[in-house]
Amino acid sequence: MSVLSRLRAFFAVTTPAVWVLLALALGAAGLIAGRPGVRASGMSHWLFAKGHVAVYVPVFAKWNAEQPTAATRVESLLIDGPALERRMLSAFMSGTPVADLVETERSMACRAFTGPLEDVGFVDLTDLLKAEGLMEKINGPSFAPWTSRGRIFGLPHDVHPVMLAYRADLVEAAGIDLSKVETWAEFFAAMRPLMADGDGDGRPDRYLLNFWPNNRDLMELLLLQAGGGLFDAKENVAIATERNAFVLSSLATWCAGPGRVAVDAPDFTAAGNTLRLRGVVVAALMPDWLAGIWKLDMPDLGGKLRLMPLPAWEKGGRRTSVVGGTMLGITKAGKNFDASWALAKRLYLDPEVHAEFFKRTTIIPPFKSSWSHPAFSAPDPFFGGQPSGQLYIAQAGDVPTRPASPYNLPALLRVNEVLIALADRASREDISDPAVLLPEARERLAEAQMRVEKMINRNVFLRSDAPAR
Amino acid sequence: MSVPAAPLTSAPPAVVRRYRAEPVWVPWVFLAPFLLTFGVFMVWPLIQSVVLACQQTFGPKSTAWVGFANFSFLLHDPLFWKAVSNTAMFAAGSVFLQLPVSLGLALLLNRPGLRGRTVFRLVFFAPSLVGLVFVGLLFSLIFAPRTGLVNSVLNDFFPAFDPEFPWLQVYVMPALILAALWLYAGFNMVYFLAALQGVPEELMEAAALDGAGPWHRFRHIVLPEILPVATFVVLMSLLGSLQLFELPYILLTGAGPDNRGLTIVMYLYDNGFVTGDLGYASAVGWVLALLMGSFALGQRWFNKRQEES
Repeated sequence: MSVLSRLRAFFAVTTPAVWVLLALALGAAGLIAGRPGVRASGMSHWLFAKGHVAVYVPVFAKWNAEQPTAATRVESLLIDGPALERRMLSAFMSGTPVADLVETERSMACRAFTGPLEDVGFVDLTDLLKAEGLMEKINGPSFAPWTSRGRIFGLPHDVHPVMLAYRADLVEAAGIDLSKVETWAEFFAAMRPLMADGDGDGRPDRYLLNFWPNNRDLMELLLLQAGGGLFDAKENVAIATERNAFVLSSLATWCAGPGRVAVDAPDFTAAGNTLRLRGVVVAALMPDWLAGIWKLDMPDLGGKLRLMPLPAWEKGGRRTSVVGGTMLGITKAGKNFDASWALAKRLYLDPEVHAEFFKRTTIIPPFKSSWSHPAFSAPDPFFGGQPSGQLYIAQAGDVPTRPASPYNLPALLRVNEVLIALADRASREDISDPAVLLPEARERLAEAQMRVEKMINRNVFLRSDAPAR
Repeated sequence: MSVPAAPLTSAPPAVVRRYRAEPVWVPWVFLAPFLLTFGVFMVWPLIQSVVLACQQTFGPKSTAWVGFANFSFLLHDPLFWKAVSNTAMFAAGSVFLQLPVSLGLALLLNRPGLRGRTVFRLVFFAPSLVGLVFVGLLFSLIFAPRTGLVNSVLNDFFPAFDPEFPWLQVYVMPALILAALWLYAGFNMVYFLAALQGVPEELMEAAALDGAGPWHRFRHIVLPEILPVATFVVLMSLLGSLQLFELPYILLTGAGPDNRGLTIVMYLYDNGFVTGDLGYASAVGWVLALLMGSFALGQRWFNKRQEES
C-alpha cells in the first residue's frame, strides 16, 4: 500500500471531530496570516498611566485630523506598566514590534539605558533639546532620570516635587501652629501632643507620619532630600556616606523604639487608606501625583488636608524631594522621527495640555512657561483652598537630581536592608537616639556599598578593557 | 478444535511483510510535527540557555563569553545562599507541616460513616482552585497591621495585643508557609484520600481482629500501602517549593524585610529582569534545574529501594 493510499485510509476512518479541529486550525492560521500587521500604517503611542488617557484623547484627535496622510496619524494604546516594560525591552533586545513613542516610568526606563549608548532603543534627544533651546525651558532636575552618561533619551513629563500633607482639622483642634516649623525635629516636637493615648489602651491614638522601613521609595525620597543617595552625579556608587548613615539612623528611630513617630499606612491599599481616613496617620509625604490619587481614592479627606514644604533635615536645608517620574521616548524603530518629535512636543510642551493634566491629576509640568497658567494658581478645595499648583511649583527648582543607573534598584534594596536592620535593633534595644545607631549604620552601609560595587564590577562591559561585542 | 502449528520455516504473515516494506522515512513524517515543535520550543532554548549561562549580557545587544564566572559568582553570593536557605525552609515547612495536615484531613475524611464527606472534601479542596496570586492578596489583607483580620481579632480578645503587630515583617517565613498550607493542604489531601481508598479493607479487618490498634494499623498497613503516593506528593511539594515565586512576590511585595522572603526563583527574576543580567539569571536557572533533577533522582532511587525491599 502506498503512503498516499495509507493516508487516504487514515482520513476515511477519522471521526468528524478531527475534521472540525483541522478546519478550525487551518481557519485560525488563515485568519492570522491574513491579518494586517499592527503597524501596517501610521504611528503608535504606548502609555501605562490610565490617568493620562483622558487628557491625550483630544490631543490625538486634533493631531490626526491635521494629518494629510495615514502615515503620520497616531494610535494610542494603554498597556499595564509591567506589560509595557516587557514589550519595550523585548523590542529593544530582539526587534519585536514597538510603538514610535513610548511613555514610560522611571523604574522601567532605566532598564532601557543599560549597555553601550548606541544600543539604547530610544533616540538620543540631547542635541535636539539643546538646538531647540528646550534645556533652558524645562526644569533642570526633571531631565536627570532620563539621562545616562550625559545623554538624554526622553522628554520629561513631570517634576514630582514632594510636600508634606497633614490633617489640618486634627492639628488645628490640638492648637498646634506649624507655621514656624522648619526641621523634622521641630515638626515632631510640635506635633507630639497628637500622639497622646486618649483611649487608654497604652498606645498612641495617632502617629505623625506615614513611613515604614520597608518602604524603599519613601526611604530614597528622604535620603535624596537630605543630600544623600545611592549614586553620585557620575553614577559611581555612593552608598557608604556619612549623610546616608545619619539619615538611616534617624529614620530607624522614627519607626521603632520609644521615640517612634511613624506608622505603616501603605499607599494604594485599603488598609492604608483606612488609617488615613480614621486619622491614625496625621501627615504624609505627598508628591504631586499622589495628591491626585488621594483626591480620587479618599474624597472624604477633602478640605481636611493642608500642604506645607517638607521639614528640612537642618535649618536652611532642602524643603522638598522627588519620587516617581515619567518620560516620553521616541524609539529608534519608529518610522517617522520628525512626526514623532512634533507629536511629542504637542503632548508635552503645550500649556493647555499641562493645565488639563493638572486639573485631572494635580501633576505639575516641567515646562516652566506653563507655570504661569491660571490653572496652577486656582484654589484647591481638597487642600482647604490652598493653591496646590503654585505650592508645588515653588519647590520645583529645588528638586534633587537622581542618576538613572541600571543598578539603582539593587542598590536601593541593599540600603533598605540596612534601614530594616537598624529599625530592628532600635526596636529590640529601645533606642531613640540616632547617634547610638550610627556606628552600625556606617558598618552596614560599607558592606552594602561593597556588595553593589562587586555586582557592578562583575560587569565586563563597564571595565576599561570591555570586550568587543 | 485444535490449531495446527505453523511450520518453522513458513513465511511471515502478510501484515508483517507489509510493515517491513514500509519506507524508513514514514514514521519520521508522522513524528516531524512533534519533533519540530519540541526542537524549536524546548531543545533549542535549552541549548541557548546553557550558552547564555556562560555569557554576560548588558543592555539589549551586548554579550560577552565569561565561561563559568557566573556560576563562580553565584556560589560566592551571600544573597543566593540566603535565597537557597529561605527556599529550603519553605520546602521543609511544606513537607513537614503541609503533608501531615493533608494526610490527617484525608484520614478524617476516609472514616467510614462520616456524614457530609462531599461537603468537607469540597471545603478543603476549594482553596486550591483560587491560585497563588489571590492567596497572596488575601493573606496580605489578613495579616495587615491594625485593619487585618488576625490583629483585629487578637486585639478584640486580648486588648494588650498590639494591633499594629507587623506579622509580615517579623514572621515572614511562617506567614508564607501558613498561606501555602491553606492553599495546598486540600489539594494534597485528594492524593492521600485516593491512596487511602486503595488500602485493602480485608487487611485492615484482619489486623483489627488480630488486636492491632489504630496506630499499629496505620503504621504497619496504611503507611506502607500509601508510601508510593506519599513519596510522589513529597516530590511534587519539594519541586513546587523550589519554584516558589508568586506567593512571596504578592504577599510581601518583593523579597520582604532583610530578604527574608527571597526565594531562588525570585533571585533569578531579580537578576534577569530587574538588573537585566540574563546570563547570570540563566546560571541560577541551571543550578535550580540541577537541584530539582537531583530531588527527582532521589525519589526514583527511594522508590526503587522500596520496591526491592
